Amino acid sequence: MEIIAYGDNALLINFEQKIDSETHQLVKSYHNAIINIEEVVYQIPAYCSITVVFDNESINFEILKDKIKELGIKPEQTQSKSKIIEIPVCYETDYAPDIESLAQDLKLSQEDIISLHTSQTYDVYMMGFLPGFPYLGKLPKELECKRKSTPRKFVKSGSVGLAGIQTGIYPSEAPGGWQLIGQTPLKIFNSRKEEPFLLKMGDLVKFYTISATEFKKIQDEAK
Amino acid sequence: MKQSELTLIFLKAGMQTTVQDQGRAGLQHLGVPIGGALDKRSAELANYLVGNNQQTPVLEITMMGPEILFDTDALVAVTGAQFDIYIDNRIVKNEEAFHVKSGTIVRFGQLNYGCRAYMAVAGKWNAKKWKGSASPILQAAEATPDSIIKKGSKLKIESAHLNKNGTLDKNTSTPPLANKIRLKVKAGPEFENISRTAIAKFFGQGHLITQDANRMGYRLKTELTALEEKKEMISSGIIPGTVQLTSSGQPIILLNDAQTTGGYPRIVNIIAKDLDQIAQLKPGDEIWFSLE
Repeated sequence: MEIIAYGDNALLINFEQKIDSETHQLVKSYHNAIINIEEVVYQIPAYCSITVVFDNESINFEILKDKIKELGIKPEQTQSKSKIIEIPVCYETDYAPDIESLAQDLKLSQEDIISLHTSQTYDVYMMGFLPGFPYLGKLPKELECKRKSTPRKFVKSGSVGLAGIQTGIYPSEAPGGWQLIGQTPLKIFNSRKEEPFLLKMGDLVKFYTISATEFKKIQDEAK
Repeated sequence: MKQSELTLIFLKAGMQTTVQDQGRAGLQHLGVPIGGALDKRSAELANYLVGNNQQTPVLEITMMGPEILFDTDALVAVTGAQFDIYIDNRIVKNEEAFHVKSGTIVRFGQLNYGCRAYMAVAGKWNAKKWKGSASPILQAAEATPDSIIKKGSKLKIESAHLNKNGTLDKNTSTPPLANKIRLKVKAGPEFENISRTAIAKFFGQGHLITQDANRMGYRLKTELTALEEKKEMISSGIIPGTVQLTSSGQPIILLNDAQTTGGYPRIVNIIAKDLDQIAQLKPGDEIWFSLE
């Protein structure tokens, strides 16, 4: 772990630069501990780094760096319990514009893609791109894939996509280049709710299959 | 203190007129940009001139201003970019509070200097807030429906006629309005990964701002040599004032509405107190960087 200055009111904690569960557990533990440092204004935890923005009138880089070092979090202490959030996904063609071409590219059947995607729980490694967009990982090796060469101008809210070793869910309508293999009827970001975010960094996610009929039913109930 | 219900009625919206305050810190780990007035100092001065506290929203007016009908008397001040401002046909001063009578129209004419003006109106603003701030979020516009001004928008303010002097002390510093500026920067986290030739070029010349310049960021015209380090960087947090280099070698200055994470190397960071000056630059203006 190294701590470097980032501008004049932030610092960057860099962990070993790789995307994996152990590094993620460290990020999560440091993030949860740094919340208690009064002079910290906000944090941006990512795959293997945390950006910590502080009030430079009440603390400086050197002192904050020492405070963070003193936390002395050890990798073996970081296994905390996480909430598992189950997310229904309709993988039927109408909801999965890229599943067919992706199956061809990956030399898998559509059923293989679905069973692989629903076979494991994913860590919410980080949030970014859009309010409430979760970067989930890692994908089973067989599902690793490239982004689309031309991004779509509109991706529907709730779309579930794959890119690289990650899977993610679009919280709102936006342009995007991920390979879309399904859609959830759940609103993972709803600004009208008291608690607008269904997921946060550190949660666990498990996907399960639903039919188009069930999709519509859940969507109607949410209205 | 007399209080009355004031409605600002926008006959014209201007190019990009938004309600802004200090933004919302604390949701960045969930992917929410910080938002808030780009030229903080000017926004604060506008509120100061009409006797509002610093948390009160202001209008951020970009390049082309709105036309606003006032249905009640009000105390108003405009700071930042210098527009010709008219009440009906009478011109009023920038950086000084002025009274607007019920039934008159405040109109923004020609832009003389700078890019963004800030208009404060004395009183309590009733713009809808989301998570403590009225500043709009591009991707969740429904959360702050009053904050992106359109033609016909109405904004309610509990107007207060404060006994306010309404002028600035001679010694008060205001952000300079120039079209060629020099900004102080600190080395960014990936500074060492960028080729010395690219670094030399970055500091050795002025950078023009392209048309692709908004509240998310300013793309600069310069093409630095492509990056030496070909290995892709793993996405990491970004903050306003970060200058990142795209894979083609084009620098982008990230601002308040930028997404919270990014995957391009961060060459430098503009020091926080110099950020207000960037807000006043427009396409075609020029920036020089010097390492602090």
